[in-house]
Amino acid sequence: MNDKKLARKWDRSSVGYDLVNGAEQARLEPFKRSLFAQAKGRVLLIGAGTGHDFALLPPGLDVIAIDISEKMVERAGLRVKDYCGNLQVRRMDVRELEFSDAYFDVALASCVFCSVPEPARGLHEVRRVLKPQGQLLMVEHVRSRIGAIALMQDLMTTLSSFFGPQMNRDTVGTLLRSGYRLDREENLYLDIIKAIAATPQ
Amino acid sequence: MTPDTKHALFALGDGLASMLVGVATAMAVHAAITPGWDMALAMVAGMVIGTVVHVVIGVLLMPLIGALEAMVPAGITGMYGGMFFAMRNTMVDHNMSHGMACLIGAAFGAIVYVGVALYNRMTRGVMYEHPRGTRA
Repeated sequence: MNDKKLARKWDRSSVGYDLVNGAEQARLEPFKRSLFAQAKGRVLLIGAGTGHDFALLPPGLDVIAIDISEKMVERAGLRVKDYCGNLQVRRMDVRELEFSDAYFDVALASCVFCSVPEPARGLHEVRRVLKPQGQLLMVEHVRSRIGAIALMQDLMTTLSSFFGPQMNRDTVGTLLRSGYRLDREENLYLDIIKAIAATPQ
Repeated sequence: MTPDTKHALFALGDGLASMLVGVATAMAVHAAITPGWDMALAMVAGMVIGTVVHVVIGVLLMPLIGALEAMVPAGITGMYGGMFFAMRNTMVDHNMSHGMACLIGAAFGAIVYVGVALYNRMTRGVMYEHPRGTRA
């Protein structure tokens, strides 16, 4: 799969990405650091972006970070030195991972599956490359179950999807339908930002 | 800067953003919607005005306070505040001063922010944990 349109969208977003998303990253940082602390062994970091999350990873891991955008990969490459461990950054679509089955111990995703078209397909691929005892750890924003907020997210998504993520996805539902067992679900802000841990089954 | 200080500053920013959206929405609706409007149309127009105001202010403030946590109170203030302000304008004499409209907008934004913050306290936390716990 070579989704050039999607890659171009994120190539464009890579310009000024840190400036626009810096505050959001700073707000999510403590949650991500706490979740990522559970990572061990061989790790797949999905959606490297500009590499902001590298500094949040526990040291000493064997990490492969992927992103669909060449420009993001270039920017992330500049931050590889921030990590005390073995870290590679590669351009790859999560819906078509170039790894053998059961290759990773842990997969990490932070605000990624709000942006992946066909998220179920991406989650199936992640499940394939995870070891049977492996785990997927995510920080994601999802559609609220509170009607007034959900309506607002639906409206905002019509705008946000042009340049970035969709704000109204049922990522936990998609995860369960994609063959995972939910280990933990924690609301970080209302019921729209969640930390999720799941195991392939 | 300590994490607590950072958190407090972001929370302050969220509150001020909600109040700013409230003021801007109240002023825009005050200028656009008059007692001659049909109430249903006025409410829809007010909602659209408030949403546009929220999006513009949200985009401008995103580099400072982020998007998601700021979006909820500011979005509710814009969308639902715009609707309420428009409804009020169709029902009462249109002789409210701009200052009073601004004050009501700011108060609405502050109330929404506090309400969302309190609701967040209730909804935060672990929703589900598998009996065997996490494996990693």
